[in-house]
Amino acid sequence: MSILHDEAQTLIGTEARRVLEAHTRREVLLGLLEAGGAYDRGVWQAAIEQGWTAIAVPELYGGLGLGLIEEGIVAQAMGRAPAGVPFLTGGDGIIAALAASLHADLQARWLPGLASGQIIGAVTLTTGPAPLPGRPEVRFRDGVLSGTAQAVVGGAHADIALLWVVDEHGPALAFAELAGVRREAVASFDNSRGHAHLHFAETPGVLLAEGQDAFTLARTILARAAVLTAHEQLGGAEELLAIGRDYALTRKAFGQPIGAFQSVKHRLAELYVLIEIARANCIHAAARAGHSDFIRAAAAARLSATEAYDTAARDVVQIHGGIGVTWETGLHLHMRRARSLAIEQGNMLFWEDLLAKELTGTGA
Amino acid sequence: MSALDGWRKEARAWLASVAPRFGKAARHRLDEAADLALGRAYLAARYDAGFAGIHWPVEVGGRGLSPLHKLVFEAEELPFAMPSGYFGVSLGMPVPVLIRFASDRAWARERAIAALRGEEIWCQLFSEPAGGSDLAGLRTRAEFGDGGWRLNGQKLWTTWAQHADYGVIVARSDPALPKHKGLTYFWLDMRSPGVTVRPIRLADGTHHVNEVFFDEVLVPDSQRLSPVDGGFGVAMATLMIERYAGGDSAGFGPPLELFIETARGCIVNDRPALEDGRVRAAIARAYAARAGLDAIQQRAMRMMAEGMEPGPEGSLGKLVAVRSRQRLSELALDLMGSAGLAWHLDATTRDDWAKSWLDAPTGRIAGGADEMLLNTIAERILGLPQDHRPDKGVPFNQIPA
Repeated sequence: MSILHDEAQTLIGTEARRVLEAHTRREVLLGLLEAGGAYDRGVWQAAIEQGWTAIAVPELYGGLGLGLIEEGIVAQAMGRAPAGVPFLTGGDGIIAALAASLHADLQARWLPGLASGQIIGAVTLTTGPAPLPGRPEVRFRDGVLSGTAQAVVGGAHADIALLWVVDEHGPALAFAELAGVRREAVASFDNSRGHAHLHFAETPGVLLAEGQDAFTLARTILARAAVLTAHEQLGGAEELLAIGRDYALTRKAFGQPIGAFQSVKHRLAELYVLIEIARANCIHAAARAGHSDFIRAAAAARLSATEAYDTAARDVVQIHGGIGVTWETGLHLHMRRARSLAIEQGNMLFWEDLLAKELTGTGA
Repeated sequence: MSALDGWRKEARAWLASVAPRFGKAARHRLDEAADLALGRAYLAARYDAGFAGIHWPVEVGGRGLSPLHKLVFEAEELPFAMPSGYFGVSLGMPVPVLIRFASDRAWARERAIAALRGEEIWCQLFSEPAGGSDLAGLRTRAEFGDGGWRLNGQKLWTTWAQHADYGVIVARSDPALPKHKGLTYFWLDMRSPGVTVRPIRLADGTHHVNEVFFDEVLVPDSQRLSPVDGGFGVAMATLMIERYAGGDSAGFGPPLELFIETARGCIVNDRPALEDGRVRAAIARAYAARAGLDAIQQRAMRMMAEGMEPGPEGSLGKLVAVRSRQRLSELALDLMGSAGLAWHLDATTRDDWAKSWLDAPTGRIAGGADEMLLNTIAERILGLPQDHRPDKGVPFNQIPA
């Protein structure tokens, strides 16, 4: 059942937008593109002060005990900015994995730090060419990890990671501290995402789940990440639509605002349609966490939000003409983010197949 | 929501109880006359059971419940394929306009109840050869003289005019005024002398729309439902009345489940079609679009239940759903290969891909063409400028033809 946000949730959204508008500066975001392994520390500090890192952590461990709906609302504001901080989605994955595990010691050791934002978490379910591969590149044996997780989001800065690994029985979920791990930063086209290869060499780790349990938990965590990312994509698409609309109203050609031409009007109207479909799917999916239809709801949100953000990036740059492709105007910040978000939580081919499997019972 | 849940259960139970008499199986292979007779019987039964005029005022024979109750009933009714289609326009627009604008209340109540019971059918005479998307471009004349108004001209695309007892009509009363200003709104008896209904057969072979000709048709002034030259406002109000109409995320075509079942029996590259990436992508994309529309509808209903006005996104359902249905129907036929060539005249758009495909363009044109819907979104929701309109403010009779 789709939900209406209540007053508290609406307030979280308004406040998140206000705070991010106050803390986001285009010059800073442009600078981050060329600064190796940097992120927007001002925004991260604001996120911590606002308690966004604590949203999904149980109250017992210093969190707010809220869920995906509230995290999604914040993610949407982050996407709109677009914030130069990639940690909230990974944080949610580790929080969910630890909360689902029976490791009370790990929960007590890490959840308070995740809540306070002193600890940054990363997740490696979708690294490499294919998400949740049958043969993960990182091996787990006798309590230690070896191998490389490729281009992990936030990997350049994370303190801990949830890892998709292979042990003697097959794929499994493991947890590791990253203090001694060699990181190789990736100079990516969306540089503030902190992408880095993580090279594990006899790194101590803890097994969280094996066999079918590992697959089930991994899929749930990936679906949560997909829903949060879909909110970010939705926020980015909304912002681009607003920018495109404003430009179409002010820019004149042939004696009238370009927004009076149907070729421009209809582009923007079609984009509005994609955004509203994505918004409805996002709100719905966030409310389905924990239900049996969560995976399909998450997949629908992921597919429609990716389509909306990609289309927004394409078409709003197009509506701007030449000015849209300049460095200073910064629309490429959204273009870049649209692509990195499309890749980071599993590409569209993966989600189409996952959803088709859910709906038909048939694998690819 | 608990009161609504109770209502939903009541509706479902009643519908299931009458389904053997009126549902899909009972209608199988009936000709139109027999199907229409069955439809009238169904409407009478529906009225007697208390599921008619659900959100209409009690004074005119309605139940006085909320629009939500109506939407819930319609959603429950849809899968049964009851023979209610002949009465959709009648109960959707003309009769609600009478209820709102007719000054003779007793007469309006009589008509409303007869329409709810399926005894009388109303049609809506709006579109013309020169006025479809541009409704205010219509040319049918209404001239005031002895005994009332004389109507001359032609209407087009009039749904179920061949079965209609009455109609509501917009005609041009003063061609010297700009086009929106010189229109007047009437009701009339479709059996009046000078009214001729001619069938139009659509591409899928069916006949539910018509041309209607008016040759010196006399309409007394008492049948006027708007101020003289103030008919466009009433016509717009008519269109607004249906803002509580339920959408269908399948675009009134087959459900996605039927596509999956169709594809399950098909082969691509010597492998099951459901293993083919293109087929899987189509299924996933169609699901995402439909799930989004369903969520929009659910959210709108929640908002109405909370006494809030639903957002404008409710208007995009048809735009998304029918295009999705059109493409999915094409793909289903392609997948079936030569088996997809079969054409069943008595099939419905909900259970047959060829029928759904042939009828899909109608869905993208009727009730607001895609292009008009996009303009409406751009202008009303996004606040972009209106299109350039050379006829704006120009007296109708000075607009170059």
